[in-house]
Amino acid sequence: MIGFIVLLIFVGIIIVAFSAIIQSSLADSIILFMGVGLGSVVLFFIFKAPDVALTEAVIGAGISSLIFLMALKHLKAQV
Amino acid sequence: MSIKRSLPTATLSGFALSAVLILTFLKILLQNIPTSMQRAGDSLLTLNANEGVANAVTTVVVYFRGFDTLGEIAVLFIASLGIGLMLGENERCVIKAQSNFMLHTAAQLLFPIITLYGIYVMSYGHLSPGGGFQGGVIVASGVLLLLISHRDFEVPHSFIVTLETFAGVAYVLIGLIGLFTLDVFLGNFLPHDVRQMGMLLSGGIIPIIYIIVGIKVGSEMSMIVQNLIKRGDDV
Amino acid sequence: MFEYLNQPEVIRYIVTVGSMMLLFIGLFGLLTQKHFIKIFISIATMETAVFLFFIGNMFSKDLFAPIITEGFTNVAQMNDPIPHAMILTAIVIGMAVLALGVSMTIEYFKLTGNTEIDKMNEMRH
Repeated sequence: MIGFIVLLIFVGIIIVAFSAIIQSSLADSIILFMGVGLGSVVLFFIFKAPDVALTEAVIGAGISSLIFLMALKHLKAQV
Repeated sequence: MSIKRSLPTATLSGFALSAVLILTFLKILLQNIPTSMQRAGDSLLTLNANEGVANAVTTVVVYFRGFDTLGEIAVLFIASLGIGLMLGENERCVIKAQSNFMLHTAAQLLFPIITLYGIYVMSYGHLSPGGGFQGGVIVASGVLLLLISHRDFEVPHSFIVTLETFAGVAYVLIGLIGLFTLDVFLGNFLPHDVRQMGMLLSGGIIPIIYIIVGIKVGSEMSMIVQNLIKRGDDV
Repeated sequence: MFEYLNQPEVIRYIVTVGSMMLLFIGLFGLLTQKHFIKIFISIATMETAVFLFFIGNMFSKDLFAPIITEGFTNVAQMNDPIPHAMILTAIVIGMAVLALGVSMTIEYFKLTGNTEIDKMNEMRH
């Protein structure tokens, strides 16, 4: 059962990461990058590493994506 | 008159290069998959039972590899210094639109809860998953919520400078006290009893150092976030 | 099929192939994209792939998390705490470097006004 879940989440992460890179709208790209962070948090939890999962959730899917969004406002990009 | 369609040469060459690299790497990696991984932390896990701390990762980060954590705090400080130098000399920009009434009230209700949760994660880092880095960034995200919902809120500069200086100096001072009393930099000079494993006051200097790391990381992230929101350009 | 996928060799195979695919998707984005923010997103994706590869190769089904609580006191069956400490440091430093790069992008945009790397040719003359 665990192997099947790991395979599913890996396939999901790869699809979301590929579509985050070839998007044309920048805000969609940043939100899809948050999806990659969310999938990796679930994978870290399955691999029995709770400290790393908490750090990746707070920093990777939290502050890092928010820094990109704040920069988007200053770059006056066409959202 | 012939209409030529230009080949996207950059995309095609990117695909080809990536495909060649993928096949080479995967072939080398899949031929050498080890049947069992060597573990490096067995002796550290048995040593950890003598320190009286429940969370083994906290002991490794703060006590066995405490010097690396000092270097990581230095890297965060240099990054915050660089951002403050580049963006800090613009004049303070005022958000022109008045924020929503719901956002205004909800941020005032949520900010104490988020700060309390961050302090809980910071101070229980040696008993359950968590620690200084996670708790500090949680407090900084609460400050971010307050920055985007109130127009005239600014983190007071002198308060943050005092906190950060105190935390950085205290880390090195605790290490030097350990050097003078036990001949080991960052030695554990407070009493740590194995019978107290699982209590809040256990493990000697380990929870104290992690709280100091959390204060420093939280104040640095708050300054980074404020510089990126309020000092970019005119909003 | 579920019993075939639960063997430790197959899980290690899946982790290796999956994280290397993610690394090369990030490399593809780094080589072909032109906007600054897309390049930073590709670098962050590559770092996430390396972290997944590190932690995923230490996985075994009968280990549990390295925290001593009631009922879980057998030290020989715990996960390894040293890679966790290394990955913790690496995540924080990656975020700090990304924040510095983003602030440099903002300053460069205020100076010249372009956000594509194809038009960065001030040093050519």
